[in-house]
Amino acid sequence: MAETLLAALVSLDGTGHYFHWHWIDISYANLTVIILMVVVFVVALFLPFPGRRNKKETR
Amino acid sequence: MSESPDVKVAPWTGPQRPYDILKEGTIALVVVAILTIGLAIVFSSPDDPQVTVQQWSTKAPIDFAQTALSELNGTSGTAQYGAPYNTASPGQKLGPFTLAKWLGATIPVNTVRDFVIDPLTDQPPTPTLSAALAQWKGAGAGQRTAWLDAYTKASSKMTFANGTVSVPTTAAGPVPVMINSLEQMARSGALDQALVTQSGFYTSNYTLPLLFLADGSYLGDLAQQRHLLGSQWGMMNETGSYPGQAWLWLYTFWYQIPPFSTSTNADVEVSAVMALLSVLLLLVPFIPGLRSIPRWTRVYRLIWRDHYRSQSA
Repeated sequence: MAETLLAALVSLDGTGHYFHWHWIDISYANLTVIILMVVVFVVALFLPFPGRRNKKETR
Repeated sequence: MSESPDVKVAPWTGPQRPYDILKEGTIALVVVAILTIGLAIVFSSPDDPQVTVQQWSTKAPIDFAQTALSELNGTSGTAQYGAPYNTASPGQKLGPFTLAKWLGATIPVNTVRDFVIDPLTDQPPTPTLSAALAQWKGAGAGQRTAWLDAYTKASSKMTFANGTVSVPTTAAGPVPVMINSLEQMARSGALDQALVTQSGFYTSNYTLPLLFLADGSYLGDLAQQRHLLGSQWGMMNETGSYPGQAWLWLYTFWYQIPPFSTSTNADVEVSAVMALLSVLLLLVPFIPGLRSIPRWTRVYRLIWRDHYRSQSA
């Protein structure tokens, strides 16, 4: 019962998969995280600051 | 002499606006907490069972027995490692600097005593084992070496059947009994306990079982299957399909390329390179060229595009 409650909804305990190119060897899980980090960085650059239009600048 | 445009910056005289760092920090904390809890519920966390000496000796009894022999005859990785375990070799060096040797054997490990003799001595005594241990302890170094040499020469024909390790030699004195007793002790799980409790009853010090396991090939084979070896960028990886320590990419990158990939001092050399790069990162504001990258790339103009747009209008 406890095991069922504590088990992951999506199990990642299976065999890992790896992207191999020359001497680069990276798991798809790590690659996904790195791509997500780059996407978040780029999105943060282009998204407008929240509430920018409403805030008054002061001198 | 004109000053660099990275240093000589005019003070800001334009508009300013309030910024609540506590509010921003709280929002970031809440978002990260929700993400962490949510991802933990969906994916849980890696939970690979611990590798034990019992498991090793059960699944690879010959490898265990060969490793036990290497601990006895001083040819194991631990026995020949040097500092911090012993003085058998200078250990890792950085150019002419024998850094490991300078620090000395701070975690002394005597492979004969710690991995074989002490655990066997702590066993409930049997006449055969007691006689073998007494024979070993009563013998001189020359006699022990002769026994070990005889056993080592015949060990390529080692077999395992019905829970017993067999080696075709009659000149090895007490060594066959000692290796067999250690094998049986390991398969019962008693050796795991004996190796851990040498540093007290309540302990989380797994140095000895981990060193013993690492001297065999069973642990390395498991690591290779799971893509955890240093040569497989293993420092970045986790077991299963979980993402690992992606931020260690630069650290583990050096291990993949010459001269580090073929060096016996790779650990200390890579640490030195990373220390040097860390110092360079700290000193970026003082390094001409490097400190100009933000000015050249103009990413700041993208972030503050409204301001620069209004300026040019």
